[in-house]
Amino acid sequence: MQIPVIRNVLEANEKMADKVRERLLGHNILALNLISSPGAGKTSLLERTLRDLAGKFRMAVIEGDLQTSNDAERVAATGAQAVQINTEGGCHLNSGMISRALDKLSLDGVDILFIENVGNLVCPVEFDCGEDAKVALLSVAEGDDKPEKYPLLFNLAKAMVLNKIDLLPHVDFDLARARAFAVKLNRTLDIFELSCRSGEGLDAWYNWLEKARAEKMPGKMRGRTG
Amino acid sequence: MHEMALALSLLSMAEEEIVRRNCTRLLAARVEYGALAGLMPEALQCCFEALTRGTAHEQARLELVCLPVRLRCPFCGAVFGGDSQDALTTPCPGCGELFGHIVEQGREMILSRLEAL
Repeated sequence: MQIPVIRNVLEANEKMADKVRERLLGHNILALNLISSPGAGKTSLLERTLRDLAGKFRMAVIEGDLQTSNDAERVAATGAQAVQINTEGGCHLNSGMISRALDKLSLDGVDILFIENVGNLVCPVEFDCGEDAKVALLSVAEGDDKPEKYPLLFNLAKAMVLNKIDLLPHVDFDLARARAFAVKLNRTLDIFELSCRSGEGLDAWYNWLEKARAEKMPGKMRGRTG
Repeated sequence: MHEMALALSLLSMAEEEIVRRNCTRLLAARVEYGALAGLMPEALQCCFEALTRGTAHEQARLELVCLPVRLRCPFCGAVFGGDSQDALTTPCPGCGELFGHIVEQGREMILSRLEAL
């Protein structure tokens, strides 16, 4: 028997992502999905942000890693709520994992939820986690051609953080090249050059978070726009 | 790397569709995927085989059809394309613009046909 069907292979994940989005909207929580290679500084950015904005926002974190709860412990040390997901080999988080992690958080009063995805520039981009926006991180210790090599992430992200700029004198990273290519792939991309270590440039990132939080409204800032 | 998740999702959808039609054995499934969808066909085939081995669907064939990228230039409206993600940074044939092309086709991943007994 021939059966014609037209179904999106990712439909189960996307339906669940919409449920997650609805649930977060019910609590008026801004959700950001942080995506980068391993070691770009996602956890460091969260540690700084959670400490520096603790007086301004209530924030919660869902940490995705293959193994260990090291990252959840690091962010929980700032006083924020944190849940660790171990994918045990899985290369990305999906919306079902996020939904189950939300059950472990107390969502009342939370302003911003950060989802720290598994370090990987490819697979996490395909799986909507119910976020309002994806944030791409890149560190200057990597190649400045990452936006060229992994265009989809930079195409879909709302913001790009260029971390570890305190290392610029010691590396060959060309900020202008990385910026130019990313902006050309995504004309509305907001870019922040900063160092979680020195604190330089963090203010602009914090202003963006405040603005995004204030703008959180139904239908606005959808993560999956492509 | 995420092909196992895709294969699981694909098989569960296929089973849902064939059960609804009182079939028990999947013979073939066709997936059309865009050249920007980040799908590795060999990896998906491998995962599909691993998941169907030893089941009623052991004989099932997975047909993978790659859809080319179709882009529209936001400046002059020209529609053009290519077979890989390089098309994203190919100059627009209409006005020469290098970037910012709007993706009209290339990110889909669609289960489009099943055959079952």
